[in-house]
Amino acid sequence: MSTQLWAVVIAAFLASAVEFVEAFTIVLVVGVTINWRSALAGGAAAVAALAVIVAVFGTALVAFVPIEALRLVVGLLLVLFGLKWLKKAILRYAGLKAIHDEEAIYEEQLAEMRKRGEHPTAQLDPFGVVTSFKSVLLEGLEVAFIVITFGLQANDSLHTSTARGAQPNGILLATLGAAAACVLVVGVGALVRAPLARIPENTLKFIVGVMLTTFGTFWGGEGIGLTWWNNDVFLLVLVAFNLAVAGALILWLRPHARRIAKESAQELEQPLQTEVLG
Amino acid sequence: MNRIVSAAKATYYFFAGDAIILSAVLLAFVLGFVLVHVAHAPNPLVAVVFIALIVGGLVLTLSRELLAH
Repeated sequence: MSTQLWAVVIAAFLASAVEFVEAFTIVLVVGVTINWRSALAGGAAAVAALAVIVAVFGTALVAFVPIEALRLVVGLLLVLFGLKWLKKAILRYAGLKAIHDEEAIYEEQLAEMRKRGEHPTAQLDPFGVVTSFKSVLLEGLEVAFIVITFGLQANDSLHTSTARGAQPNGILLATLGAAAACVLVVGVGALVRAPLARIPENTLKFIVGVMLTTFGTFWGGEGIGLTWWNNDVFLLVLVAFNLAVAGALILWLRPHARRIAKESAQELEQPLQTEVLG
Repeated sequence: MNRIVSAAKATYYFFAGDAIILSAVLLAFVLGFVLVHVAHAPNPLVAVVFIALIVGGLVLTLSRELLAH
């Protein structure tokens, strides 16, 4: 294969790998924290939706699907989901645990089940399915955009440089690059799945909260028209920033939680002392 | 009517469940959009305002939790 053809495959591989990593991160955290059934159901539904969209629009997809609007909606929802999880995880780390009794009991039961090595729940969880679905759909569309734009560009340049009739298909080459990236990312994901499952419940929720907030902020920002510094590299800056903020919030809340616990313990002791002494 | 209210409540709890987070995030997106498309503000400024409003929502809701205790 000529250098020009390899360049198409490698460019599509690298660009798609970034999108696959983003989508797979969300599917992975949903699978580990909620259950794999919900994560895979959401992912499979998104792949089916993608197949229909690609089949209907073909290469005209780039002109018809409003990717900016999709980024805006998915980003907004991910930020909302992420902040909700992050808030709960921070409150638990700080020691200000129970928010709503029923929710706390349910989450404690899940944590106990995980400790015993049981699967939290085999039922489809709407939050898990929706989160997995929209991430895979958005990133899958971006991969489709990469394949189509890289493929069409390759077709144009190959058309001018090679003889007619012997032309390789640029879209097919870009698809091969993207497929190789998908296999690599899913393979690496399958390897890290087992160690991730051993991480404590609240740590996972904290990580999920940070990841969802980060991706939501990033995609939402792109949706409103922002261009991030160094594009996808800025995701790492955002992760570091969100981790630092969340860590600082835990450190800020901890002394308050200790004081509140001390005060409520004193309040409980006081009536006992008056009963005994009185 | 009851069904509509309970459906609206269920949707709210599913997507947000926290009025402060919801308001801060909506404000971040609306203000960010206006800054980019109407005010044509510089990119770094919009990024800072957008991220600060999102993080600000988290800080505010945690402060409220602390006060409630």
